[in-house]
Amino acid sequence: MEQGGAHEIGVHKAAEYFGLTFNIETLYMTWISMAIVIVFAFVATRRLKMVPGGWQNFLELIVTALLDQIESAMGPKGKKMAPLLITLFLFLLVSNWLGLVPGFTSPTSDLNTTLGLALLVIALVHITSIVNKGPGAYIKHYFQPYIPFVVINLIEEAAKPITLSFRLMGNIFAGEVLIVILGKLVPMWIPIPNIVWLAFSVFVGVVQAFIFTMLSMSYLAGSMSDDH
Amino acid sequence: MVDLNWTLIAQIINFVILVAILTWVGYKPLMKALADRQAHIAESLETAEREKVAAEELKLEYQQQLAQARNQAQAIVEKATKLAEQTKEEILQEARTEHARLLKAATEEIARERELALTAMRNEVVNLSIAAAGKVLGQQLDEAANAALVSNFINSLDEQKLGDLKC
Repeated sequence: MEQGGAHEIGVHKAAEYFGLTFNIETLYMTWISMAIVIVFAFVATRRLKMVPGGWQNFLELIVTALLDQIESAMGPKGKKMAPLLITLFLFLLVSNWLGLVPGFTSPTSDLNTTLGLALLVIALVHITSIVNKGPGAYIKHYFQPYIPFVVINLIEEAAKPITLSFRLMGNIFAGEVLIVILGKLVPMWIPIPNIVWLAFSVFVGVVQAFIFTMLSMSYLAGSMSDDH
Repeated sequence: MVDLNWTLIAQIINFVILVAILTWVGYKPLMKALADRQAHIAESLETAEREKVAAEELKLEYQQQLAQARNQAQAIVEKATKLAEQTKEEILQEARTEHARLLKAATEEIARERELALTAMRNEVVNLSIAAAGKVLGQQLDEAANAALVSNFINSLDEQKLGDLKC
């Protein structure tokens, strides 16, 4: 991993369109990830067979595992959220892994991506909460169990998207940073640390995608349950 | 490093688009395939169960039929055996009766024949005796008196010398 690559650590190339600033590299990487996920889903679901094999089997493995989780966490009502959560997992998985390919960066190493996703999830949590419990009960539950708890409850709600986004971004960003640093520190003819770290980053990518998805699931489950 | 800008909004829109596309391209067909498979498996299991029950019933039926057939065969053999026994008994009885009848008839026939023969022989002897006596004596006796005389003589002969040839 040479420094002559397309990016410097932690600096995202920006471009302006219509007077609005965009991190254009993050957007490119996001579109690549989206394309990979879509192609994967497309390939895996063409000629669906009774006895699954190949990509279909792989996709079914992920989808049924997530569906089981959704079913147990949210109950039957969670089915509506299943496409969102499955997409979230697949997209985050591909995004996290994309940064491990030389010349590419993870869209998830940009806080814009992770915070955007986290805000989307949290907004959804609040909307389902309002729809599910009614506006009165929704507002009331900030003042539970006593009125002064409103401060703690508000902090808790604010902490959710922040922790969600910074956890993912921090892990993936740190992974990319260390890949670059290892490439500089260790000569190319000692590849062991790089390989070990890359393997670990693959693992971290899965774990972080899973954590983000599971936490989103549990937040959504909390907004869907009638108690609390 | 942490430079928030309009990328955030773009990423949200990107993700919503991705959810829509994936739902359309991947999720729905996959759910349909899973549901189809589930239905297929359930149906297969049900069919298998049904066929198993049917096979069980068929087996039971066959076993019953087999047992019935065996019983019938047994009954037929027994009946045949009994019939044969009876027929044998009857035939034997008949043969015995026939035998007895034949024996009796033969005995009677023999006795009658002997009677006839004896009578004939006696008459012959009487006549011969008379003829012989007439020739010997040279004179003709009263025929009736002659017969009585010879008959008397022969009777006395019977008693003394022909002891075991009873008339």
